[in-house]
Amino acid sequence: MIDELKKEIEGARRSFGHELESIQSPEQLAALKERYLSRKKGVVSQFLARLKGCLPAEKPLAGQAINQFKEFVEAALSAAGAAGFAAAASGAWDDPSLPASELPVGRFHLIADIQGRIEDIFLQLGYEIAAGPEVERDEYNFTKLNFPEHHPARDEQDTFFLEGHDDLLLRTHTSPMQVRYMLGHRPPLKIISPGKAFRKDDPDSTHSPCFHQVEGLLVDRGIHFSHLKGTLEAFCRSFYGPDIVLRFRPGYFPFTEPSAEVDISCFLCAGRKTDCRVCKGTGWLEILGSGMVHPQVLRNCGIDPEEYSGFAFGMGIERVAMVKYGVPDLRLLYENDLRLLGQFG
Amino acid sequence: MKINVEYLKRFVAFDLDDGALKELLAGIGLETAEMQSSGGETVLDIETTPNRPDWLSHYGIAREIAAKNARLRFTPMDLTAVPLPAAAGDFAIRIEDASDCRRYSGCIVRDLQVRESPPEVQRLLLSLGLRPINDIVDASNLVMMTCGQPLHIFDLEQLQGGQVRVRRARKGETLRLLDEREVALDERHLLIADASRPLALAGIMGGLASGISAGTRHVFIESACFEPVVIRLGAHALGLKTDASYRFERGMDAEATLPALQMALLLLSRSQGRALAPAFFQDVYPRPQSRPAIRLPKAFPAQLTGMEIPAAACAAILGRLGFRLGDEGDHWQVTPPSHRVDAEYKEDLVEEIARIHGYEHLQGEMPLSANPVLRVDRERVIVQRLKYQLADAGFNEVINYVFQAPEENLMADPHEAPLVLKNPLGRDFSVLKNSLLVGLLKNTAANANQGLERVALFEIGKAFAQYGGQVGESRRLAVSAYGLQQRKDWRLAAREFDFPWFKSQLAAVGRRLRLELDFRRQAHPLFSPHCSFAVEVAGRGCGWAGEVAAEPRRLSRLDRPVFAAELDLSALVAAAPESGFRPWNRFPAARRDFTFLMPTAVSYEELRAAVERLRPAALESYELTDVFRGDAVPAGQVSFSMGFTYRAGERTLTGEEVNAAHREFTGRLAAQLGLIQR
Repeated sequence: MIDELKKEIEGARRSFGHELESIQSPEQLAALKERYLSRKKGVVSQFLARLKGCLPAEKPLAGQAINQFKEFVEAALSAAGAAGFAAAASGAWDDPSLPASELPVGRFHLIADIQGRIEDIFLQLGYEIAAGPEVERDEYNFTKLNFPEHHPARDEQDTFFLEGHDDLLLRTHTSPMQVRYMLGHRPPLKIISPGKAFRKDDPDSTHSPCFHQVEGLLVDRGIHFSHLKGTLEAFCRSFYGPDIVLRFRPGYFPFTEPSAEVDISCFLCAGRKTDCRVCKGTGWLEILGSGMVHPQVLRNCGIDPEEYSGFAFGMGIERVAMVKYGVPDLRLLYENDLRLLGQFG
Repeated sequence: MKINVEYLKRFVAFDLDDGALKELLAGIGLETAEMQSSGGETVLDIETTPNRPDWLSHYGIAREIAAKNARLRFTPMDLTAVPLPAAAGDFAIRIEDASDCRRYSGCIVRDLQVRESPPEVQRLLLSLGLRPINDIVDASNLVMMTCGQPLHIFDLEQLQGGQVRVRRARKGETLRLLDEREVALDERHLLIADASRPLALAGIMGGLASGISAGTRHVFIESACFEPVVIRLGAHALGLKTDASYRFERGMDAEATLPALQMALLLLSRSQGRALAPAFFQDVYPRPQSRPAIRLPKAFPAQLTGMEIPAAACAAILGRLGFRLGDEGDHWQVTPPSHRVDAEYKEDLVEEIARIHGYEHLQGEMPLSANPVLRVDRERVIVQRLKYQLADAGFNEVINYVFQAPEENLMADPHEAPLVLKNPLGRDFSVLKNSLLVGLLKNTAANANQGLERVALFEIGKAFAQYGGQVGESRRLAVSAYGLQQRKDWRLAAREFDFPWFKSQLAAVGRRLRLELDFRRQAHPLFSPHCSFAVEVAGRGCGWAGEVAAEPRRLSRLDRPVFAAELDLSALVAAAPESGFRPWNRFPAARRDFTFLMPTAVSYEELRAAVERLRPAALESYELTDVFRGDAVPAGQVSFSMGFTYRAGERTLTGEEVNAAHREFTGRLAAQLGLIQR
C-alpha cells in the first residue's frame, strides 16, 4: 500500500515539474496552484484522503511523504511566481523571445582564410611553413631557378622592377623561397611557402598585379614523380572532397623536370553536367603547376642531384576563391567591400 | 601557334576527329587555346612553351603526333628534286663574328616575275593568320609555318657590292624597317648589311629599301641561324617582336637552314611555273653544331617517375622522337636530334619518355621517407591568435596591393624617398607602400561611402623602406575603426568608436603577447595633433596610433572620426616573452582609493609619470576608476578617482602601514601636481 502511494507521489512530482515549465502567464500559474493545492480537489488533498486506508503502522511514513510533496510544490510555485510573474504585475516585462543584440563579429579575408586552410592541411602532413620576402633578388626569383638571364621564359612572368635596384624585383612567384630554403637547410626538406606574388598584369576578372600563391617543396633521397601525385592527391581530397581525381598533363616550368600541370575532377558535377558553372562542362579544373625539382636548381642550391631528388608545386589562392567559392571576378577580392568579406572567413 | 589540320595531315597521316586530336595533343603537353572550323578546315591555336621552339611549325606538331602514335610516321616534304649546287659567283656571304650567327645559308634566284601565290597557298596563309602579299614573300612565310625556319628574301638589285655581311651595327647608323619605322642603331644590333649600308635587322625584320616590290626581278634568299641572346637583346632594345625574332630568341635548328632554302625554291618553282635553279649558293657554317650525348641509365626513368616503363619502351619512345641511342649495357648514350635545342639533361629525356608513355599511367604514392624535424613558426602561431582576437572584437581583415600612388606614401611620411617601380601599371600603383594606413583609410572610405555604419578593419602586410642601398620590408599590423562601435537596438544604446575604446583594443593586442604598450605623444603626419601617439614596448618604438587628422579624412570624404594604428608585427613578436611559471604573492593585498581634483593643464600621462616616480615599495598596481567633469567640479579642474593596491612580498601589511604609506604617497603626489583631495 505505502509503496504504491510513494510511486504515485513520485509520478505527481514529475508531472508537476513538466506543467510548471510550460507556464507562460500568472493566470496559468494560479490554475496550477489550484490544481495541486486546492483544499477540496487538489492533488495533495486527494493523497491525504487516502491516509485513512493505510495501516496504522504505515500512516506516519505515508503522511511524511505527502507532506514533503506538498512542501516541494509550495516552494516551486512561490519561486516561479517571484522570478517570472511577480514582476510582471508591476509593469516590467521579460520576454526571452526578444531578438539578440547584434554584437559585431569580424572575419578573416577570404584569401587569408583559404591560405590558412591550405596551411593546416600541409601542417598535418608534416610540412613546415616558411615565408620569404616580397622584394626579391633577381638571382633567387629567376637565375637560380634555371631561368637564364636572357631566356624567353622570363617573358612569361611580366616582372615589376625597382628603380635604382637593378638586382631586385617584386617576386613573380613564391618559388624563390625554394631557393632560400634549400640554400639554408639540408635535406630532408618539407616546406610550404605561402604569400604574395606580383606580375605586371592589368587588373581584370581573372588577373591581378598582386596575387597569392602557396609553394610546396619536398626533397629527400628516392623521391619520385608518383610521390608528387600522391601528395597532391592527399591535399586535393582533403581540400576539395574525398572523391576528387587528379589529372597530370605535361607542362613546362624552367625549375622542374619533368613538369606537370595538374587538373582536378570537377568537385561540383564530377564531369556529369555540360553547363556546370565550375568546370564549364569540361569535367576538369586546372589548379596547380608542379614537377620534379630540376637537377640544375638542386645544384644551384648546393644539393647533389645524384643523391637527392624532390618535387615542387605551386597553386594560386585567388583561383581557389573563384573555383571553390564562386567569386566571379578577381578584382572583388581586392576591393575589400565588407559585404563580400562578411560572406567568408 | 596556328596549325591548319588539313595541312598538318600532309606530314603525318592521322585519322582523328578534331576533338580526339585536341585530346591527343593535350596529353603530350600541347594545349589548344582555340579551335576554329570553317569551310571544312579546322585551325588550332596551340599554346607552346618557351623551351620548345621546334613546336612553332607544322613539322614540329606532326613529329609529336607521330611520336605519340607508333603506327604513324612523320613525312616531311620531298625536297630531293631541289638540289642546292655549290654555285659560286660574283657574290659572297661573310659572318664577321661567329658568336653572333651560327650559320648563314643563302642563294640567288634570277629572273622572277612577282605574282600572286596560287589560291590554295593564299587560303592556307590566311587560315594561319598571315596576309598573302606576293608569291615571293608568301613562300618565305609558308616555309616558316611549315618547318619553322624564318627566311628573309632581299631584292638583289638593292644590294650593293655583291655581298652580304652579318655584322654588328655601328653607333649612328640608321635603318628604315619594313614597317616604315626608322630606327637608330648601335652595337647591340646585329645587321645584315651589304658593302656599304645596313639592309636588315638580322633575325628580326627586313629593311624597306631591300624588300620585295612589284618590280623585283632577282632575289637573294637568306636562311640563317642567329644566336638567340643576340636577337633577343636587339629586339628588346627596339621594342620589336616579330615571328622571326620570336623563333630565333628561343633557338633555331642550325641543321634546318638548307632544307628551308630548298623548300623555298620548291614553292617558288610552283608559283613561277618552272623549275628554279639558284644562280648562286653559299653555306657559311663556321662551327658545325655538335650535341654532346646524354648518359641515361636504363633504371633512371623508373627511379625518377615511379612508373615501370620497360627499357625497350623507353628506347622506342626516344627513337620515335628522333633521339639516337647507343646501348651501353646498363645505360644509353642518347644524342638529341638537332631541332631539340631543349634536351640537355637526363631528366629531360625522362620527361620525354613519361610524356609520350602518358602521364595517365602515373599512380599516386605518399612519400614516407621525408620527415625532417619540424620547426614551428612562432610568429605564425602568435599572428594567428592576434587575428582571432581582432576578429572577435569585430575587426574585419582586408588585403590590399603593396603598391600605391606617390602622394599616398607622402601622407604617411613626407620626407622619405619612396621605392619606385621602374615599370608600374600606372601612377596610382607606382611606389611600394611605406605604411598600410593609407590603404586602410581608403578601404574605410569605400565602405563608409556605401552606407556602412560600422567599418572596423585590420590588415597584415608588408611595408617597404630603403636604407642606403638596401631595401627593407617589415611586416605590419594595421587597425582602424570608423563609425559605430555598437548599433542601437532595444537593449543597447548606440555607441560611436572613440579613442579610449580603440586604445583598449590595441592594449589587448599587447596583452595577448604579454606586452605592455606605452602610448607616448608624438606627432605623425596622418594623425590629428591632439591625438597622435608613438606606440612603444619597453622604450622601443614599434608603431603609431591616433585619430586620423582632418585633412586626410576630408580627402576620403569621411564625416566621422577614424582611429587607426600601425604596429611592427615582427618587433612585437620578437619582444613577446615566452610563457613560464612565476609564483604569485599569497599575502593579502589592501586597496585604498584616492579621489582628487586635478588641473586640466595636467595630462593623465603626467600624472602617471608622477605615480611611477613616487611609487612606494609596497604599491603593487593602480588603476583609474573614474573621470568626472561637471557642475560639482570647478572650471579648469577634472575629478579623478584612482585605486591603489598595496602588498608586501613576505608578509601581511597592517592597516596602519597601508594607511601611512598611502597618505604619504598621495600627499607627495598632490603637492607635486597641485591636486586637491576631495
